[in-house]
Amino acid sequence: MSKTSSSPQSKHLIGRRAWRPAWPARPDRVLRRRRYFGSKRSVLKLSGQFNPKTLKREVVLTDKKPLFWLFGLFLLVAIPTAVGSERFLSLFGIICIYAAINVMWTLIMGTAGLQSFATLATVGVGSYGAAYLSITFGLPWPLMLLVGLVLGIAMGFLISLPARRLDGLYYALLTLGLSEFCRNFVTQNEALGGKFNGALFGAGRIVPSDMLTTRLGQTLAFLTTFVALLVALGVFRWINGGRIGLLLKAASTSKEDESFASAIGIDWQRARMIVFMVASGVLGALGAFYSTYIGGTSLQIFSLDLLLLMLAMIVIGGLGRAEGAVIGTVIVVGITQWFTDWGPWRIVLAGALALLSVLYTRNGLFGLKEQMREIRTRRQALHRAAQTTKYAEYLPQQAPDIHDKSLIAGRTFERELREKLRGWITPEIIEEHRRSPLGQHSDHLERILNYFRKAPIPDKYAVYTEVPFQSYRVVALSGLPGVPPRIVDDKTYGSLDEAYHAVFMRRINDLKAS
Amino acid sequence: MIELIISAAVLASMYGLVAIGISFTWASIGMLNLAQGFIFTAGGYAAYLYAQTMTNLGITEGPVMSIGLLISGMAGSAIAGLFVGSIAFLPLQDRANFRTRGLIATLAISLIGTQLWLIFFGPQSKPLPPIFGTGRIEIGSGGVSYSQLGAIVIATLMLTAVIMWMRSSRAGLQMRAMMMNPLGAAVVGVSVRVTGMRVLAISGALTGLASVMLAQTFFVSPTSGVQPLTVGLIISLAGGLGSIPGTVIAAAIVGLAEALTARYLAQSLVPFVLFGIVVLILVFRPRGLGGLLEDVRE
Repeated sequence: MSKTSSSPQSKHLIGRRAWRPAWPARPDRVLRRRRYFGSKRSVLKLSGQFNPKTLKREVVLTDKKPLFWLFGLFLLVAIPTAVGSERFLSLFGIICIYAAINVMWTLIMGTAGLQSFATLATVGVGSYGAAYLSITFGLPWPLMLLVGLVLGIAMGFLISLPARRLDGLYYALLTLGLSEFCRNFVTQNEALGGKFNGALFGAGRIVPSDMLTTRLGQTLAFLTTFVALLVALGVFRWINGGRIGLLLKAASTSKEDESFASAIGIDWQRARMIVFMVASGVLGALGAFYSTYIGGTSLQIFSLDLLLLMLAMIVIGGLGRAEGAVIGTVIVVGITQWFTDWGPWRIVLAGALALLSVLYTRNGLFGLKEQMREIRTRRQALHRAAQTTKYAEYLPQQAPDIHDKSLIAGRTFERELREKLRGWITPEIIEEHRRSPLGQHSDHLERILNYFRKAPIPDKYAVYTEVPFQSYRVVALSGLPGVPPRIVDDKTYGSLDEAYHAVFMRRINDLKAS
Repeated sequence: MIELIISAAVLASMYGLVAIGISFTWASIGMLNLAQGFIFTAGGYAAYLYAQTMTNLGITEGPVMSIGLLISGMAGSAIAGLFVGSIAFLPLQDRANFRTRGLIATLAISLIGTQLWLIFFGPQSKPLPPIFGTGRIEIGSGGVSYSQLGAIVIATLMLTAVIMWMRSSRAGLQMRAMMMNPLGAAVVGVSVRVTGMRVLAISGALTGLASVMLAQTFFVSPTSGVQPLTVGLIISLAGGLGSIPGTVIAAAIVGLAEALTARYLAQSLVPFVLFGIVVLILVFRPRGLGGLLEDVRE
C-alpha cells in the first residue's frame, strides 16, 4: 500500500501507519549520516522522503528506539537524583546493578542462545574474590574491578566447557545448581564464611564510606551504579548489534539453524564461547563492583531465590531484549525493595507476575505489542470473512482496490433486490401474469416486471412476430447494432399474450437461477 | 567402611527418588519440573502436619505414626505435583515454546512456593518424629541405624513397585507409550493431559517419600528442597533423562562420591566433586549414562 501513497488516489487507502517523527529537510544541505566515534554505526536512522500533503521534502526518523532509550535512561538517572532521599537512591542503585547483571544474562541467553543459569555464580565469584582480596590485602577499587573481570572470564571459560557438548535444557539443568554449590562452598570454607555466616565486610569502596552519610556521597554512589548499567548496555549493544551477534542470529533458534549456520561457514561454537566469556567477564566485574558498592558481600548473592527472582525480571520484561531486562528489573526490584513491609508476599507477587507473563504472554511485556498485533490481524481476518456477503461478487480483499465504491454498492443492491424478488415468485403470481400479461397487476408482480424491464439490452428477451396474429417467437437481442437477434427455441405461439408469458417465464427462470 | 557404604547408599536412594521423579516427568511430558524442590518441601510439611495432629491426639510413635508419616508425605507431594501440573502443564502443554515456558513456569512456582512455606510455617526447621525407631544394628566394626536401613529398604521397595506397576498396568503402558513417542501415543488415543497429571502425581509421591525420610536427618524448612533439587537435577542429567537404570547408576555414583569426599577430602568440596563428576560423565556421554532419548525429544 505504501507504494501508492504518493498517488492521487491515496485518500481511499485504509489501515493505519505508525507515527514517525519528521521534520522539514534543508534543501540547501546534503543529509549526512552521523556515526558513533570509531565505529560504522549510525547514531540515528534517518531517511529523506517527499510528503505528498505538504509537497515538501522532509527527514524522517525511521527507528524510534534510541529516543525511548534516551528518555528512559534520563528518567532512571533524573528521578532519584532529583528526589535525593537515601532510600530512593539506594533503591535505584540496586535497580541499576541488577539491571546490568540482567542485561549481561540476556546477552548469554538471547544472543548466544545458551540457557545458562550460572549468572549469579559468576557474579558471586567475582564479588567474593574481589572482596576477599580487598579485605586481606587492601586492594583499591580499580584493582578489585580488574580481579572481578579476570575471575569472571576464568569462570566463564570453565562453565562454557560443557556447553560444547550439551544442548539447551541439559545445560540449563547443569548450571542451575552451580550457585547452590558455590553457596555451600563459602559456608563451609573457614576463610570466607567462617566469621559472619558467609558475609564479608570492609572491602574498598569507590565512594569513601565517610562520604556516604552526605547526600552528595549517596548521589555519587548511585551515579557509579548508573555508569555500570551504561557499561553493560554498551557491551550488549557492541556484541549483539555487531558482527558476532549477526553471526549468532543465524544459529540461535533451533538445531536446524545450527546445522545451517555451520554449512554456510559460521563457526557459531566459537562465536558463542566468545560472547559467553565476554559476558562472564563483565558479570565478574559487576560482582566486584557490587562489593565496592556495598563495601563487602554476602551469601544472599548465591541463593536460588535471588536467581529465580532475576529470572522473573527477565521473563516479565521479555527474554532476549535489553529493554525487557531493564524494565523487568525496575518492576520487580521496585516491588521487592520498596514494599519491604509486605514481607514474603512481595516475592510471591513478583513470582506471580512472572508466572502470569509466562502463561499469558509469548515474550513478556515487550512481546505484547507483537502479540496484540497478531490478535488484531486474526480478528480482522475473521471480520472480513464474515463480511464476504457485503461485497457481493467482489472478494473482500479486492474491495480496497476498487476506487469507485458505488460499483460495490450497486452490485450489493442488485443482489439484495434479486433475493427479495425471488422470494415473491409464487404460482399465484405466474397464474396472474398468464391471465393478463398487460395491464394492472398486483404490487409484487409489478415490481418483478419493473426489474425485468430495466435489464440491459444484450441478451434481453423479446417477442418476434413471424406472422401477425398467428405466429410469434421468443428471441434474444444481441445488443449490437447490425447484429440480428437470435432465436431462442423453435416454439411458436399463437397469440401475443402467450408469447409475452413465455418471455416472462424465461426471465423468471433466469432470476431463479441467478 | 560399612558405614561409608551405608551412608552412600542412603544418599543415593534418596537423591535417586527425586532424580527419577524429574527424569520421569521430562521423558513422558517433555517438561522439566524445576518445582520439584517445592514438591519435596510440600511432602515434608504434610508429614509435619500429620505428626502434629497425631501428637495432639496422643500418639507419638508406633506403626500408625510411621506409616501415616510416609503416606501423608507422599500424598502431600503428589497433591503438590498435581498443583504444579495444573498451573504449568495443563495450560501450556499445547502452546508454542512449551519446553522453555514450562521451565520458567515451574521455576516461578518454586520461587512462590518457598515464600508461601515461609509465610505459613515460618523460617524455623521443623523436626519429624523418627519413623523407624532409634536403634542400631552392629555389623563388624561399624553399624547401621534403623532409619538408614529403613530408608534404603523403603526406597528400593517403592521404586520396584513403581517399575512393576509401569510394566504391568494399563496406565503404565500409556506412560511408557508417552515416553517413547508422545505424538504417536496421542494418535492412538492416550490422553496426554490425564497421563501427564498421573506422571506428575507419581513423581511427586516418590519425591515425597524421599522428603519424609531425609527429614529424619535434615528436618523440614522452607528452603530444604533446594539441595535435593540441585543434586536430583544433576543425577537425572548424568543418568540420562528418561532412563531409570541410568538414573539409579548415576545416583549410586553420586552418593558414593559424596560420602567419599566428605570422609577423605572436605565437606566443602562435595559440591564441586559432584559437579566435576557429572561434567566428566556428560563430556563422554552427552545424553547421560542411560542415553535413551537420543533424538526423541527434539
